[in-house]
Amino acid sequence: MPPPETAFTGNDRPVVTILSRLLRRLVSTLLVLFGVSLLIFLIARVIPGDPARIALGPRASEEQVEAMRETLHLNEPIIVQYAFFLGDLLRADLGISLYSNRPVMTDIAEYLPATLELVFLAGFLMVSLGLPLGALSARYRDRWPDDLIRLLTLLSVSAPSFVWAVGMVLAFSFAIPLFPIAGRISETIDIQVVTGFLLVDTIVAGRPDAFVSALHHVILPAFALSLSGIGQAARLTRTNMIATYEQPHVEMARAYGFSERDISRRYAFKPSLIPSLTVIGLDFAALLGNAFLVEVIFAWPGISRYGVGVILQKDLNAIVGTVLIISATFLIANIVVDLLVSVINPRIRLSEHGK
Amino acid sequence: MRRTVAILTGNPLSLLGMGLVSFVILAAALADVIAPYPGHAGAVVDFANANRPPGADYWLGTDVVGRDVLSRILYAYRVALGLGLVVLSIAPPIGVAVGLMAGYIGGWTDYVLMRITEVFLSIPPLVLALAIMGVMEPTLLNAMLAVTAMWWPWYARLVYNITRGEKVEGYVLAAEIIGASKAHVMFREILPNCVPAIVTKMTLDVGFVIIIASSLSFLGLGVQAPTPDLGSMVSEGTRYLPDSWWLTVFPGLAILVAVFGFNLIGDVLRDVLEPD
Amino acid sequence: MSDNQDADGRFPGSTWACHACVRGKCEVFGPPGTNQEGFHMNHGFGTGLLCATILASGIAAAPALAERILRADEAPIGELDPAKGTDYGDTVLAINLYDSLVYPAQGASGVQPHLATGWSIDGAVYTFNLRDDVTFNSGNPLTSADVVYSFERLMAIGQGHSGLFEGVVDSVEAQGDHAVVFTLTEPFAPFLASLVRLSIVDSATVMANEADGDWASVWMSQNSAGSGPYVVVSHDPQTETVMAYEPDYFLEPAENYPERVRYRYGLDAPAVRALMARGGHDISSQWLPPEVLAALAESGASLVTEAGLTGEYFKLNTRRAPLDDVHCRRALAYAFDYGTLLQLTRITPETTQGRPMSGALPEGLLGFDPERPYFERNMALAQEEQALCAHDVADYPLEVAWIAETPARERGALMMQAIYSQLGYKVAIVRTPWVLLTERVTNPETAPHVVEIAISAVSPDTDSLLFNMYHSSMPHTWMSSSYYVNPELDALLDEGRMETDPAARQELYAQANAILAEEVPDIYGYELLSTFAVREGVTFHNLADPARTYPVSGFNLRFMDISVPATE
Repeated sequence: MPPPETAFTGNDRPVVTILSRLLRRLVSTLLVLFGVSLLIFLIARVIPGDPARIALGPRASEEQVEAMRETLHLNEPIIVQYAFFLGDLLRADLGISLYSNRPVMTDIAEYLPATLELVFLAGFLMVSLGLPLGALSARYRDRWPDDLIRLLTLLSVSAPSFVWAVGMVLAFSFAIPLFPIAGRISETIDIQVVTGFLLVDTIVAGRPDAFVSALHHVILPAFALSLSGIGQAARLTRTNMIATYEQPHVEMARAYGFSERDISRRYAFKPSLIPSLTVIGLDFAALLGNAFLVEVIFAWPGISRYGVGVILQKDLNAIVGTVLIISATFLIANIVVDLLVSVINPRIRLSEHGK
Repeated sequence: MRRTVAILTGNPLSLLGMGLVSFVILAAALADVIAPYPGHAGAVVDFANANRPPGADYWLGTDVVGRDVLSRILYAYRVALGLGLVVLSIAPPIGVAVGLMAGYIGGWTDYVLMRITEVFLSIPPLVLALAIMGVMEPTLLNAMLAVTAMWWPWYARLVYNITRGEKVEGYVLAAEIIGASKAHVMFREILPNCVPAIVTKMTLDVGFVIIIASSLSFLGLGVQAPTPDLGSMVSEGTRYLPDSWWLTVFPGLAILVAVFGFNLIGDVLRDVLEPD
Repeated sequence: MSDNQDADGRFPGSTWACHACVRGKCEVFGPPGTNQEGFHMNHGFGTGLLCATILASGIAAAPALAERILRADEAPIGELDPAKGTDYGDTVLAINLYDSLVYPAQGASGVQPHLATGWSIDGAVYTFNLRDDVTFNSGNPLTSADVVYSFERLMAIGQGHSGLFEGVVDSVEAQGDHAVVFTLTEPFAPFLASLVRLSIVDSATVMANEADGDWASVWMSQNSAGSGPYVVVSHDPQTETVMAYEPDYFLEPAENYPERVRYRYGLDAPAVRALMARGGHDISSQWLPPEVLAALAESGASLVTEAGLTGEYFKLNTRRAPLDDVHCRRALAYAFDYGTLLQLTRITPETTQGRPMSGALPEGLLGFDPERPYFERNMALAQEEQALCAHDVADYPLEVAWIAETPARERGALMMQAIYSQLGYKVAIVRTPWVLLTERVTNPETAPHVVEIAISAVSPDTDSLLFNMYHSSMPHTWMSSSYYVNPELDALLDEGRMETDPAARQELYAQANAILAEEVPDIYGYELLSTFAVREGVTFHNLADPARTYPVSGFNLRFMDISVPATE
């Protein structure tokens, strides 16, 4: 995944309200989402082969295929087809999946939480391990801990997630059998699904045993998924902190005789946290994408494994639905991070007041 | 330039990187000569020697149809580097053109081009490539197209940001005053200032292209068999785990070695070319 | 996917699956009876538990009440709606959830009574008497009206096995509650055998779940409405279908029959291996690579095979030069390395996934002639035939396609590439996803020259195999993708449909088989023997004992005929 170049820049207008910011972000996001729907619709329509025949299967007669073409509006001009598609989309109707023989919306509702659970946990690992590693690296700049961390983090971004996932399974499921390699929870445990997030549902149900089982299942895939993110976050934090270290107020703190530990925590880490956080919003895209590689290895019943299945089956409705929902998730995550940063970042607020 | 070379050769990490990259490039270039079984890159079957663990005859073992894993890895490097080369000679020019135009001309051109770029950027890259490969036939050419389609927007945004900064600089205004054409200003005046950033990004991207391409073929959507490919070798090997571990471990390591090498160089290069 | 052919087809993506946790790392602390309750997971938002995490025995804190569970798997997702399914897994679901009027005859060819106690045939009129002691899982009694409804539903949806009856049946009528009359358009000998594919659904339940005149097809893909020995508890396309035994079933189950069945999808080889070794999986799918089956056998599993009237065919495109010339086809057939191919299917000295063929017909079908010699490689004859071929092979690069979902088939393609280059052919290997292939083969002009497909007889009647593959009136599908036209053969196949005397039919199909062996519209690679690994302690009676085996692919995996130990 290409490393993100620029973080979202803070808005320069005065803080009339956070609301108006939110509103404008929402509008532009909707616009982009509309573009995404058009793009993915066009991709789905250039497929070689007849969608109607593919939908009906190899035994269908010519008449059946023709009837299906009518039903799917395939004989209409492409613009009209897109209008029909948008109409269905607004009614949350994404059609039937050939892969599962169920409405695509049902599949998405069922499988998205599993992926989000995995991605959130991976994101948590990315932040909670990546940032401290980066801080450590910056603090010991150019000394051996820095060299070691830099080397390791560079190594971690140098292989696709599936390589890490396979490596971990070999090491921690086969060689030293510490972890299960598949599934979300032990087969013998029944849990009433409420949110779809098993880590939440097991707590709601008051079942610590089930929670432990779910956690035990999610750790290895989440770690495999987060590895390159951890590296990315650590490298970024290091760069930002080094830039901060060179700033006057840190020099000043040093001059006043603050301990290196305090300087690192209070004056260097916190300010560099913000640019790092904004980038993590972008890294969310990498996590969502890499989930495709990790879910298939751990047989994780999420939207990404579903996505791989439908792509291999040329299941157009489901391909369109999956890509749309993943893009929407990514855009929403970015809005949240963006807002979060603008709320917690005192510098942006200060400068805005200053104007 | 000389300084760059000096730093690259003086830094142990970049030396390691250059070592790894030269190894990979040489392996790919000389595959015909150094591969113990050059024929095994193609459609060869030798069922008598199938599933051999690593040993004297087959250093890295053989696969289920009896092909030498080492030879296939060497040839797979060829495919990986070739794919990286093609993608990185198509995607950046497209991205640069879009970024320059949007950044320099501004107005509606800016708005429309950057919204399109944003649309591409808001589909997670691997997902976009997957979707494209999903509807097309899995061939090497299509894999290149799919990866290119997800790659250019990153260059567009990079160049766009630089251009926005440069267009208000004195030298640009001077060129405009003496009546230089828009194309001249964009490509002759502004572009040279984007080059260091583009070069750094391209170096770092070789590794990323290898990662993405191998991810596609890992999912069965990349390069066609019998052409050797690291991602599909890993993917095919996983079904014989844990017994025939060499079928997954070595191709996986091969990816790591190549990408790590390019990343080491890119990392040092970035420190040198973009000291900020 | 179709009957059998492509389903090696675990998706390349689903690389792994269930695995055990071991060394007591995942104990269950739950109260007794945890796994007695139905799986709540799939109510509500059901996220589906994926497969197993196995408890290291003895460490499990809470042994639940003993329940006998059977865990089996299949690569592609099973289709629950009997009006839509055609795959192997679909068949397994259909026979366990639903009943049909007749069932393939056990240990013999032909059919035996099932829901029908008997029948009378008067030319084109078939009258079936139904059992009067059968109720659906809903409690509704099964009557002749349900048979009529099931037939209408199948034909209206027009998918699945509806092709077996298309243009064959003129009308279906109920005669009282327990008799049903099928009137055919003309006498049609294979009709009785076709009825093994007509699953009877509970018309009241189905109609209650209809939406917009969809014949409840959305509902039926998630639930079952049959009279079969099992009923669907939950269905998650990504993981498994869970089924529970219906105690009132009208036939006797085996001793220690499974009370609950987990039919899992997309499990991969390493997972099956690990799970079986630790007692977490009972019957593997038939799509494991031979290496993995051998490893399983070594660690204590038994291997059983099902000869499901399935041939591994290398379809030759007889409409595309140079294969429109019979000599070129014969050259390919003679040069073909049957021996090596068979060797590759061997798992252990005792068990193999393939046996040689002597014509187009697998053993056990009417018309099979045990006297015919098996095909063998003969390069001298191949060279001779090649010399007679009117085309210069150098002008025609031979396109060999293999189905992307079945990686094992790449071996066959690679072998052909190596061998046919000796005859001067330039062979291009094309990996094609199944859906694209089914689309490509509809056009003979652009369809590949050779494609390897496993094709099964849909019913225990020769017609269901030969007519679909070789009668020139058939539309161009993957089954008929040699596009063979031979009026003499057409006449024999037509006659086979009208003739009702088995001896006469045997003669007709033997003649057809001889023509096909001579004219080679396909290379007959080998007869596929589906091989399953069965965990120690589990007995797959129908396949363990040839006298109990049902001849049609998939019909043996009737869960109630399997004995499993109680799981704690």
